[in-house]
Amino acid sequence: MYDYIIIGTGPSGGNIAHNLFKAGANILVLEAGKLMNKKTFPRTEADTSARLYWGGGIEFDTDAKMGFLRTRVVGGTSIVNQCLLDRFDDIAFNDWKAESGVNWFTNEQLAKHYDTVEHALALHTFTANEMNRNAQLFTQSCDKIGVKWGYLRKGQSDCAQERGNDCMACLGGCHRDSKQSSYAGYLRDDIAAGLNIQTETEVTQIVHNGDTVTLHALQQGKPVTFQAKNIVLAGGAFGTTKMLLQSGFKKQLPALGKNFSTHPQFMSFGLFNEEIHACKGYFQTVASKDPILRQKGYKLENVFAPPISAAMLFSRTGAYHQEIMRNYTRMTCIEVAVRDENAGEIKVDNKGKLTIDKPFTAQDRRRRDEGRELIANILTNEGAKKVYASPFSVGLHLMGGSVMGTNSAKSVVDPEFRVHGYKNMFVADSSIYPNAPGINPSLTIMALAQKLSDQLIVANHGI
Amino acid sequence: MASNYLSNSALKAINRIGDLMIPRNGEFPSFSEVGGIAYIDDLVSYAPPADIKDLNLLLTILAFMPNFVLRWLLNRMENAMESSGPLAPIFRMLDVGLRGLIFSCYYTEKIPASYTGKKPLDIIGFDLTRVED
Ligand SMILES: Cc1cc2nc3c(=O)[nH]c(=O)nc-3n(C[C@H](O)[C@H](O)[C@H](O)COP(=O)(O)OP(=O)(O)OC[C@H]3O[C@@H](n4cnc5c(N)ncnc54)[C@H](O)[C@@H]3O)c2cc1C
Repeated sequence: MYDYIIIGTGPSGGNIAHNLFKAGANILVLEAGKLMNKKTFPRTEADTSARLYWGGGIEFDTDAKMGFLRTRVVGGTSIVNQCLLDRFDDIAFNDWKAESGVNWFTNEQLAKHYDTVEHALALHTFTANEMNRNAQLFTQSCDKIGVKWGYLRKGQSDCAQERGNDCMACLGGCHRDSKQSSYAGYLRDDIAAGLNIQTETEVTQIVHNGDTVTLHALQQGKPVTFQAKNIVLAGGAFGTTKMLLQSGFKKQLPALGKNFSTHPQFMSFGLFNEEIHACKGYFQTVASKDPILRQKGYKLENVFAPPISAAMLFSRTGAYHQEIMRNYTRMTCIEVAVRDENAGEIKVDNKGKLTIDKPFTAQDRRRRDEGRELIANILTNEGAKKVYASPFSVGLHLMGGSVMGTNSAKSVVDPEFRVHGYKNMFVADSSIYPNAPGINPSLTIMALAQKLSDQLIVANHGI
Repeated sequence: MASNYLSNSALKAINRIGDLMIPRNGEFPSFSEVGGIAYIDDLVSYAPPADIKDLNLLLTILAFMPNFVLRWLLNRMENAMESSGPLAPIFRMLDVGLRGLIFSCYYTEKIPASYTGKKPLDIIGFDLTRVED
């Protein structure tokens, strides 16, 4: 019988497993995906989608208008993310407090947990000489038209830029262990030191027996069972919510599945006469940091896409498609990330399949359209001959579904990270986000996980 | 060209649809000329078995459709983002699914040795440097 079973190894599960392991707790970590490392991460874009992502690449909302990305591998979605790590501002926390009634959602209350996480990881804030041409044109144009921008902070230790390494490659898993995924940042060394982890093990059902919890899972397709005194659900917004839904908790928890948001992103490309080579060098170094845009509910990110993803962003095929791809190296790219309303709902159908309703509200549309218009303005000011706006939206920040709050009729998890009414079932991942913060979520996921870890260690007298 | 997951008819359908989506044009070779479909199992083997079954069935049906029907279908798919009605989500899903397969087999490092022309990734100038040590 384990003291704790932690399900999932993304920024949340990785942090909690690391802390409890270090504290000497009797734990087991379960992860649906495989254990990969810098030598075995996929090396091509197509292999990355197929091997790392749930759904063999992308999952859709029921209307098939929005695609969602999340991975299934030790390290969770932090294996493929850009690891841009930002603290929340007061706007985000005040909105969380208002929605949830949780009064410790403040920068002051979370400061020490942010500090602990930031000390554990290698962080780097970009500088002017690290910008590639894509970023230079973006910032110059922002300056011209009066949009404030700033350098991004990324979790990375040594990206070998001076030796010509191109960071776009780390979208398929960092082949240098530089990016501070929860694997490189927490779990790699713990696994080497004997952390008890079982991979390719997908938890399918949670049975609560009072003082203990039984987990039913499929391990490489075969049924297995585990027992623990406590469990920590860290499967992410989709994973955690799905486990609770398919285990029948909706009856007691009417808010289960609700309040899903995702910061939908819409990319636009600008075509230039000069060669840009946006996929070279550091991939993302700058973004808008403008209080006016923050208030309006969107931000602009200076990004790019590898070839298959770039091709996928435009439905038209044949000559139109070839025109875009022929000019791949002469394109810049900006995306608008919308701070969306939490109107989505995560459900499970009668075959056990995840279904996602994600209405794009009038406010979301307004924010997208304003952002796109501003992007077109920036690109044209940069000198773009032509602007291609993709109609597709992608959700990379999956949040909510098992939100935290004081009222059990409107939330799933209480302010002490317990599933309402269940003293030994904890959640501290992206599923507890009450609404969309409009800020990169990972650092705060880890800070919340840190807070829960401290709480569990104190409750068990240091374990 | 054979697959452990998709029937020969399904593979034929992918090549035909691929050539409609990416015909030979200027320096671009057509989809089927490149032959990246030879590695399709590397992609399909990771999909859920139920999805593979559905894909096989759909492609096998499409394999027997004349070109004008396939062109009509591509047209519906291309415009699906702006369309409404009960069939629109199906066309949108189909659009992403088929384009995903076709682009993944075209903009790829994995191309059979029998293809001696310029690779699509080289044509578009995509080259990433990985400093691994
Ligand atoms: C391309 C991309 C770029 C991004 N860039 C950034 C960025 O720069 N900054 C940022 O802050 N955020 C970024 N994000 C988002 C960020 O990665 C996620 O918000 C974050 O990883 C969520 O953490 P999590 O621990 O809640 O879930 P996840 O990281 O998704 O981890 C959940 C884990 O649980 C496992 N799991 C799920 N269900 C089960 C089950 N039933 N049984 C066993 N295991 C299960 C999954 O396989 C997975 O490994 C990005 C996302 C993507 C896709």
